[in-house]
Amino acid sequence: MPDRAAAAPGRTFRARRFGRLNLEVRQSIGRFKHAAFIAFGLGVGLAISVAILLAAGVEAANIFDEFVVLTFFDRLGLSSVLIECSPLILVGLSAAVAFRVNFWNIGIEGQFFWGAIGATVIAIFDVGPPSIRIGLMLVFAIVGGFLWIVPPAIFKIRFGVNEVISTLLLNYVAYQFVLNQIYGAWQDPRDRFPHSEAFDAAERLPLLGWEKVHLGLLISLVAVALVWWLMQRSRFGVYMRFVGANPHMALASGIPVAMTIFLAVGLSGALSGAAGFVMGAAQEHRLTGTMAAGYGFSGIMIAFLARNNPAAVLVVAFLIGGLYAAGQSVKVFYSLPQALVSLIQAIVVMCVAASDFLVRYRVHWLRGDGR
Amino acid sequence: MIEFLANWLAFTPVFAVPLLLATLGLIVNERAGVINLGAEGMMLCGALAGVACYIEFGESTAVGMTAAAFAGLLIAFLFAFVVVVLRADQVVTGITIVFFGAGLTGLIGLRWNDTAIAGFRKLDLGFLSEIPFFGKVVFAQDAMVYLTIPIAFGVWYFLFRTRAGLNLRAVGENPQAADAAGIAVDAYRFCAVAAGGVLCGMAGGYLALAAAKIWVNEMTHGRGWIAIALVIFARWMPGRAVLGALLFGGIEALIPRIFAAGWPVPQYFLQMTPFLATLAVLVWVGVAGKRRSAAPGALGLPYVREDRW
Amino acid sequence: MTVALEMSDVTKEFDGVRALDGAWFRAEHGRVHALLGENGAGKSSLMNVVCGLYAPDRGSIAVDGSPVRIDGPAHARALGIGMVHQHFKLVRPFTVAENVAMANRLGGRWTDELALVAETIERYCGELGFDLDPQARIDSISVAERQRVEIVKVLMSGTRILILDEPTAVLTDDEADRLLAVIRGLAERGTAVVLITHKLREVHDFADRVTIMRAGRTVADEDPKALSDERMTELMVGSAPRSAAAARSGGGRVRLAIEELAAARDDGVAALAGVSLAVGEGEIYGVAGVGGNGQTELAEVLMGVRSALGGRVALDGEDRTSAHPGERRRGGLGTVPADRYLYGLTADLSVAENFGLTGLAAGRYGTWWVASGRMRGDTEAAIDAFEIQCHGPASRSRLLSGGNAQKLVLARELSGGGGILVAHSPTRGLDVRACAAVQSQLLEARGRGAAVLLISEDLDEVLDLSDRIGVLNRGRIVGEFERPANRHEVGRLMVGHA
Repeated sequence: MPDRAAAAPGRTFRARRFGRLNLEVRQSIGRFKHAAFIAFGLGVGLAISVAILLAAGVEAANIFDEFVVLTFFDRLGLSSVLIECSPLILVGLSAAVAFRVNFWNIGIEGQFFWGAIGATVIAIFDVGPPSIRIGLMLVFAIVGGFLWIVPPAIFKIRFGVNEVISTLLLNYVAYQFVLNQIYGAWQDPRDRFPHSEAFDAAERLPLLGWEKVHLGLLISLVAVALVWWLMQRSRFGVYMRFVGANPHMALASGIPVAMTIFLAVGLSGALSGAAGFVMGAAQEHRLTGTMAAGYGFSGIMIAFLARNNPAAVLVVAFLIGGLYAAGQSVKVFYSLPQALVSLIQAIVVMCVAASDFLVRYRVHWLRGDGR
Repeated sequence: MIEFLANWLAFTPVFAVPLLLATLGLIVNERAGVINLGAEGMMLCGALAGVACYIEFGESTAVGMTAAAFAGLLIAFLFAFVVVVLRADQVVTGITIVFFGAGLTGLIGLRWNDTAIAGFRKLDLGFLSEIPFFGKVVFAQDAMVYLTIPIAFGVWYFLFRTRAGLNLRAVGENPQAADAAGIAVDAYRFCAVAAGGVLCGMAGGYLALAAAKIWVNEMTHGRGWIAIALVIFARWMPGRAVLGALLFGGIEALIPRIFAAGWPVPQYFLQMTPFLATLAVLVWVGVAGKRRSAAPGALGLPYVREDRW
Repeated sequence: MTVALEMSDVTKEFDGVRALDGAWFRAEHGRVHALLGENGAGKSSLMNVVCGLYAPDRGSIAVDGSPVRIDGPAHARALGIGMVHQHFKLVRPFTVAENVAMANRLGGRWTDELALVAETIERYCGELGFDLDPQARIDSISVAERQRVEIVKVLMSGTRILILDEPTAVLTDDEADRLLAVIRGLAERGTAVVLITHKLREVHDFADRVTIMRAGRTVADEDPKALSDERMTELMVGSAPRSAAAARSGGGRVRLAIEELAAARDDGVAALAGVSLAVGEGEIYGVAGVGGNGQTELAEVLMGVRSALGGRVALDGEDRTSAHPGERRRGGLGTVPADRYLYGLTADLSVAENFGLTGLAAGRYGTWWVASGRMRGDTEAAIDAFEIQCHGPASRSRLLSGGNAQKLVLARELSGGGGILVAHSPTRGLDVRACAAVQSQLLEARGRGAAVLLISEDLDEVLDLSDRIGVLNRGRIVGEFERPANRHEVGRLMVGHA
């Protein structure tokens, strides 16, 4: 043997003084424990959010009032939550459908814009008879959202292009296109502001007769029911689960993997387009440059917190709708920027994502030598 | 025409440097196996910190850049804690970091919003800067442009000519092997993310102090994402990252030149070009490079020593 | 002889599953110690504790007589412990020298150090009779060469306790003999060698001492000369049934025909260079060969997950060379893949969904609505029929043991009723009981008239089960044998350069 002293000089090992964490991978976890860990993450996230609100100057006594009492237990407050949550439900479903097949659709805002553009084309050019125009707007919005996600879907399936980046880049392209329209051909001739002209009465979603809650809420609920059936009860839903969890096995088992991904992703785009329609036809009543802001991340966040379950999307979207509504009033009363809503959402998602640590691993402390 | 060309090329580095700094940072990240989609958020924090400290502490670009680097570092610590220590999903966490950065800067940046600053000044290298054409393009840039060249070289040297660089790449390719060889996988990943954060923060700071000379909300405007795409284009090599950054810096620099020249090109379509070009590059890489990917083997996968799967 | 390593009462649980249960082990310098046991007995887990990868829940370890608590792989290295893992711990895009340098610091400037490492590798290779190019990239060298890299890497750290985990599993008989001779030489120079294996021949021929493990416990520590094969087997597996050797069965009409099939690996290197064979009704056709000669690609092309570059695959005479897996399945094909959790099962979904998926894809459980009740019922029937131990159809398939997971795959693939089965290493990693169960299921399927293509790297399995045997070498069938085949003849073709 070659002499070892020369080959391995100065071999000293300094033992750890304090010890270290050792992770044991859990193969399964009880429902109760699982829920408790996620609740813990959620709790930490909310606590940090409250601290930020306090630091931003919201009075401690008012936080509960603003974010809970006046939001969920007040007629006007609750109605604005329901209005806010309609497009949120749709973008949440959109993200959930795409994530289920492991396609990270970060381009929800772009598809949202194209949905709004599709609806706007019908509205401002008065296509079709007024009686069916609102329906036509919805169809065009769905097609618009769908078409906008087709290129990234094909790039991913055909060439393996990372969809996170491709869908996101297309957000900026869609945004620039909207700017081009609202500063150009579609600019409102009445006030010359950068938005399209307002939609006529026949081009707006009718109210349901309770405060200003509109038909968009019903559209969202129907979408929840359909997507729930599709994902949880239909054959296609099983395909989606397998394609998302193990595409190799799915293919070997005879599932049309590429088609499953394409259809699920297309549905995701269509749902985002529908969200753009609801926003345009029921809330803004026109195409604006800011209408999609924040909906992309909110959709991702809702789907993530709901674990891609359509029924849970409904619940989470309702709560996020509350955050949006409360954010509006905090904005007015404390002159805090809309960015606050974004920040709070990010903190909550991060804490819940981090709490997965406890769900996935059992943590041991290995003692060091402590000399 | 020559003047147009000279102006264009002279402006290219200002746009290329932030892309290059961010891309280098992300290469260090990804070579260690951590995919950092939060670059945009780190750049935003760097940009705000850079502008704020520049304004508050004596209008010094050095102070501004240091603050930007530090801000990037802080966000990177948060990201590293969540994805390296707690092993959370890197994609979700990365996207969240973007909105965390946007939200945070939107909230605390109000004070400095829309305040124009002098920022980086072009250096005057005497007679060198006077040389026609070349003087303007090569010898009249700001200090950071010249500093970026050794940084790029340094990243390459570190990754491919040092033991620590080899260890870092081993951690990104095959953490099981690295661990068995006695390399501290988590420590390398944590430090790689931190270093990437510093570079992304500097990229944001430079963007605000040299290119925009102002702080406005969400001013990075997708450059973090372009940098992420450039990493793929560069096949995780610092040398090719320089090329990519110059290419995309060139495209970005062209846009204001075309406006200035007063050509009748629709403004908003012109603004789309960097994003469409990035997409085109991604598709091209996908079509051409399908057979052998240069991506680190363990990119995006958390490592757990006792995982038996 | 001095005691190099002494472990006692070592216990290690993985999320409630006890992998080691009060195991003990002892090794002396200058000797080769065999650590014998079947798959899942805890051999590798015990040695992973020694080399610092697993932190034991309980137990004590002494190296060279002094008690230690091993804190990670770096500590183990410093103690002179080195392990060559079954799945090599090498970074594939790196060169040999870089891989070795990763684990060994020789000091000095990095570029000089790399050169010094390369030089040292060559010196070690000279001593050990290896032939390695320090500048070659790991993904360009053979499995046997990679193993040599691991050995050099470990020895260069000053290893005094060398652990090898099933080192001969990836080698031809020739290569294995050479390796074992090298190991013997190392022991003679004072190294304590631990040889993890489940091959009795190696224990008898090369070990000075054998420790036998079963179900996480140490059940024997003896001189191998004092133990008969029968006694060792009994200690390893308890008393276990052996699958009855099957009588020759005649092939009926051809159901699976492969002609001149060509395919390449992911990196573009040719893997199949014109494979031709035919499997008839009621026949098991065994494909024998050393791993890496195209078995994986053959199985994948037949499954439909890798495209053929040439040739023809026909099911019942119909060309399915480039058909989607779903179409192949409709044509009667079932597949048992080698990597169960890659192509066979999805760990996070339920047993019922995993069982029902192929039927679902074939439209057997409804076109739009999933007939989940019927699916669950069928799953329960399969669980009973194949004696799959699990917590019901709704439990996650991740929780199944290796044997039960394989039985689930087999149950699904035989449930289609198409009668053509491609099974790739169907018993790899299974314990003896599960192995026997899987093999008898294959034989029963044949008895019912199925055409079975058995691709296996386990020569004994191929010889035991097959009616006809084809030897796969470098992507070609280089010879065919009728049952009973001459083991020596088959083995010669497996390693030959024909």
